[in-house]
Amino acid sequence: MAHRPDDERVVITGIGVVSPVGTGREEMWRTVLAGRTGAGPLTLFGTAGFDVDMACEVPDFDPTAFMDRRNARRMDRYAQLAVAAARLALEDSGLPVDRDGEGIGALIGNGGSGTISREEQYRVMVERGVDRLSPFTIPLSVANMGAGQVSIELGLRGPVMAVCTACASGTDAIGQAADTIRRGDARAMLAGGADCLISPYFVAGFDAMGVLSHRTDDPAGAARPFDVDRDGFLVGEAGAVVVLEPLVAARARGAQILCEVAGYGASNDAHHIAEPAPESGPQMAAVRAAMADAGLGPEDVDHVNAHGGASGPGDRSEVRVLRAVLGDEQAARVSVTATKAMHGHCMGATGALEAAIAALTVLEGAAPPNRNLTHVDPECAGVDHIVGEARHAPVRAALSTSYGLGGHNGVLALTRVDGV
Amino acid sequence: MSARRRVVVTGLGIVSPLGIGWEETWEAALAGRSGGGPITRFDASRHACRIACEVRDFEPERWIDRRALRRMDPVSRFAVAASHLAFEDAGLDAAPDPDRAGAVISTGNGSSLFFEQFDDSMIERGPGRASPLQVPVVIVNMSAGHTAIQLGLRGPSSCLVTACASGNHGIGEAAAMIRRGAADIMVAGGTEAGITPYSMGGLDATRALSRSNDDPTGASRPFDVGRDGFVAAEGAGVLVLEDLGHARARGARIYCELAGYGASSDAHHLTEPDPSGRWQVAAMEAALRSGGLGPEHVDYVNAHGTSTPAGDPVEIGAVRSLLGERAEEVAVSSTKSMHGHGMGAAGGFEAVLSALAVHRGEIPPTINVRDLDPACEGVDHVLGTARTAPVRVAISNSFGFGGHNAVLAFARMED
Repeated sequence: MAHRPDDERVVITGIGVVSPVGTGREEMWRTVLAGRTGAGPLTLFGTAGFDVDMACEVPDFDPTAFMDRRNARRMDRYAQLAVAAARLALEDSGLPVDRDGEGIGALIGNGGSGTISREEQYRVMVERGVDRLSPFTIPLSVANMGAGQVSIELGLRGPVMAVCTACASGTDAIGQAADTIRRGDARAMLAGGADCLISPYFVAGFDAMGVLSHRTDDPAGAARPFDVDRDGFLVGEAGAVVVLEPLVAARARGAQILCEVAGYGASNDAHHIAEPAPESGPQMAAVRAAMADAGLGPEDVDHVNAHGGASGPGDRSEVRVLRAVLGDEQAARVSVTATKAMHGHCMGATGALEAAIAALTVLEGAAPPNRNLTHVDPECAGVDHIVGEARHAPVRAALSTSYGLGGHNGVLALTRVDGV
Repeated sequence: MSARRRVVVTGLGIVSPLGIGWEETWEAALAGRSGGGPITRFDASRHACRIACEVRDFEPERWIDRRALRRMDPVSRFAVAASHLAFEDAGLDAAPDPDRAGAVISTGNGSSLFFEQFDDSMIERGPGRASPLQVPVVIVNMSAGHTAIQLGLRGPSSCLVTACASGNHGIGEAAAMIRRGAADIMVAGGTEAGITPYSMGGLDATRALSRSNDDPTGASRPFDVGRDGFVAAEGAGVLVLEDLGHARARGARIYCELAGYGASSDAHHLTEPDPSGRWQVAAMEAALRSGGLGPEHVDYVNAHGTSTPAGDPVEIGAVRSLLGERAEEVAVSSTKSMHGHGMGAAGGFEAVLSALAVHRGEIPPTINVRDLDPACEGVDHVLGTARTAPVRVAISNSFGFGGHNAVLAFARMED
């Protein structure tokens, strides 16, 4: 299926995750395949006065397992998640950071910034005065420190930046990092996302937008993409990073090869800051671009890890896009899952976490279920939703789709690498 | 592999402390005027740093309707205005094919003013009165999102955040999107609007800002022995980047070629550069190499030159190491001495000025240098007044907190 010459092919050789559904690739994979949820009470701040008191948090996250205590104190939680996931990904890949890290870079997506620290320091300024701000206010607060801290902690001297396209950040980071390798600007990239927007400001703001589920008596059943009874998403946090290398280099060092990042497509709705374009044209264009980049026709696509934000118009638009791009006949054959049902909406990390799951789906020929989907919304019908249990079937190519506030659409096409 | 697509600059848009539009900004830069002054955006009387380079006489209503403006932080207003200016300058009313035109607008901080106002409201009134706008208005990607909406750009859009190098990474990555065939036209640059109590307080707490409050126009003095930190600026600088064939087919004016882009990381410290400058050199070399150029082609370096005690000598050392024996013949200036440090907008401001330097053969100066720091010697500093000289290749350096380095190489087009 490969349509690029071997020396332009980029593969995933490692996965690192710190997520509501487990830490490390294996624990995460077991959890999502079993359809277990990471939902539970929101514990990262006191929720008195909030209508929503549930979230998908990383249980018992201990940053000092991944970095020394002094450095951890100078990082917002999102940057700690980035560093932890990046370290796990690097270990999983076995990639040596040699030659002083020259030519090894990191693109880490995040939708927000160090918002927990930012809100804390803002309160310090308002209540105690501007001269009481921490000298680390800026490094704690800003949006580039997930990426920056990964480079500092792991010694990466290639291109390093934060890719910020809201809920599409993790997807765009992986797509852009693959291009960075292909054009010769890096010999390996760590790419993914890390975000923690479980803060008073963001939870209150999301709730005011009406995008959060209010099924607070049933957190485990609250996230139900494509279900007729969906009422919004569960806010989650995560770090999810993959290691990308040229196929040729990965083979030369005998690395494990999980799948190929065969295609990437991006577009913008150019319509509204928070609502999808009514005819979904730009989303279709992004899916088509990813497939064309990978040399895939509709008949080659076996699986889709959908964005599945569990909003009314968003989920409907997604299915409309798949039907239009793949054709009704092929769309009906394509298995579709929305793993946000298990791990929640991990914001800037979510695209990377979903791409990691899609990569393992391609590798293992197994796809996690959309655990809470009991009654498919008739307007979301027309694809083969994976309901109930995991699906075991070979997957030649999977798409992972992400759609973000601000109209950003990002789509990855992941394909099996034969002979590994 | 097919031949590398060539990317050219066909439009310039800037909203800066030196003026609205490139003509005003360029005239002020060649005249060596400073955009510094006392902070007027907020009551800074309790701040240790009370000076900044603010944008004056900015009327966003010229480009943006009132309803859209209410949902736009100033950081996005600057970006959209600069993008409109760049589009007009490129002779475009609208994108010829919206699906083949995108926007990469980077920022260091994103929203400051609205974030602080919404936060005040959260503290005073509690979460039950939160605004449905308080998330979408403040997230860092929204300047790119608004630009895509306002200009009708449906191609790839992104926001690359690397602190003070954000603008350069954004422009470099946008060019890469054209090169890989994902778009024919990209609006690309950086924006910042951080002259607010919290952002300025936070920057001052890192001890990065000049506290020369009694001399706002003389405070930004890169390479001078008396430098004591940077002067924060606001605004946006945006380029229209275009595939060369596309630009020629529509008869566009071409300022210069964006020939190269190089990125690296220090992996050294949160706020301090690696004192060896080794990875800054690596980024400059990568920028030249990616454009098929070498150090021997460089006639001008638009330095990062923030006016911090630690940063300036490291950069000059890196430039000398790149250029070798030619260093003393190569013109170097830091235009931050005039427009201040735009942070996420810095790369955008300086890309506009570097493109003009190549196009017009004029080099804006570093002002405010009374005593050149001996640790910054060894290059041909353009001090005080502008210089007329042909520029074959200009490189524009940006280095950010977190150790991010990004360098752009602009080359003269030979017809």
